[in-house]
Amino acid sequence: MAADDRFDPYTLLATLERHLVAYVVIGALGRVLQGSGEITNGVDICPSTHPESMRRLGLALTDLNARRPNGKPVVLERDLVGRPLLELGTDAGELKIVPEPPGTRGYDDLRRRARHEPIGQGLRPQVASVDDHARMLSVLSRDEDRQPLRTVQRMIELGPEISRGLHRGIDI
Amino acid sequence: MLIRQARLRARLSQAQLSERSGKDRAQIARWERDVVTPSLETLRDVLQACGFDLDLQLVLYEPPDERDDARLREELARTPQERLRAMLEARRT
Repeated sequence: MAADDRFDPYTLLATLERHLVAYVVIGALGRVLQGSGEITNGVDICPSTHPESMRRLGLALTDLNARRPNGKPVVLERDLVGRPLLELGTDAGELKIVPEPPGTRGYDDLRRRARHEPIGQGLRPQVASVDDHARMLSVLSRDEDRQPLRTVQRMIELGPEISRGLHRGIDI
Repeated sequence: MLIRQARLRARLSQAQLSERSGKDRAQIARWERDVVTPSLETLRDVLQACGFDLDLQLVLYEPPDERDDARLREELARTPQERLRAMLEARRT
């Protein structure tokens, strides 16, 4: 089965929730949940770097059979040192761990404006705000981020409609 | 958003930025929350206190694409759950 076919964000996020990992969903999936209409193959998270939450994240990664691009199992405390992010393969798809997304001060910064969004199957992950997504994309200044940034900026301009979407009743 | 972004990139607290820029800390907080908007001159002063500057130049205005806007409005009218399901469905097709 191709890596793309394995993408199951519900399993990925449910595993993080089951282990009570403190994190905020960022990146393309975060933007999708905010309404960008993109398509993505992975979950990007900004985790709390509190030791207990990192321990829980380690347990969740074990459950997900997380491994590094070279196929070796991940050891968080070792593999995150000196790296801005960790890209992992898991049995439920790609998982990117970004402790301090560019332009932010990490989890404690993002969670202040993040919201718990009901996505079904009883899951309510914290999702970074539209403003914070724009902030992260604008700092990165990568060519591939131009279109997502333009979309997110337009979402900010259409703000009232975003609010309506996020506040509608949800079938969980 | 620019002030907050510059301050965070400079790793300054609002109090430190207040000290550097000579602007009131509460006012900086209001600017960051978009409660009020600083003048362009003040904005540059504050950004420069963070070690940044504004590179102001004229660029061509591209009006929003109507079809993109229609798609975005449709997406925004959905709940997060509906958005995720639609994305997963689109991946499959």
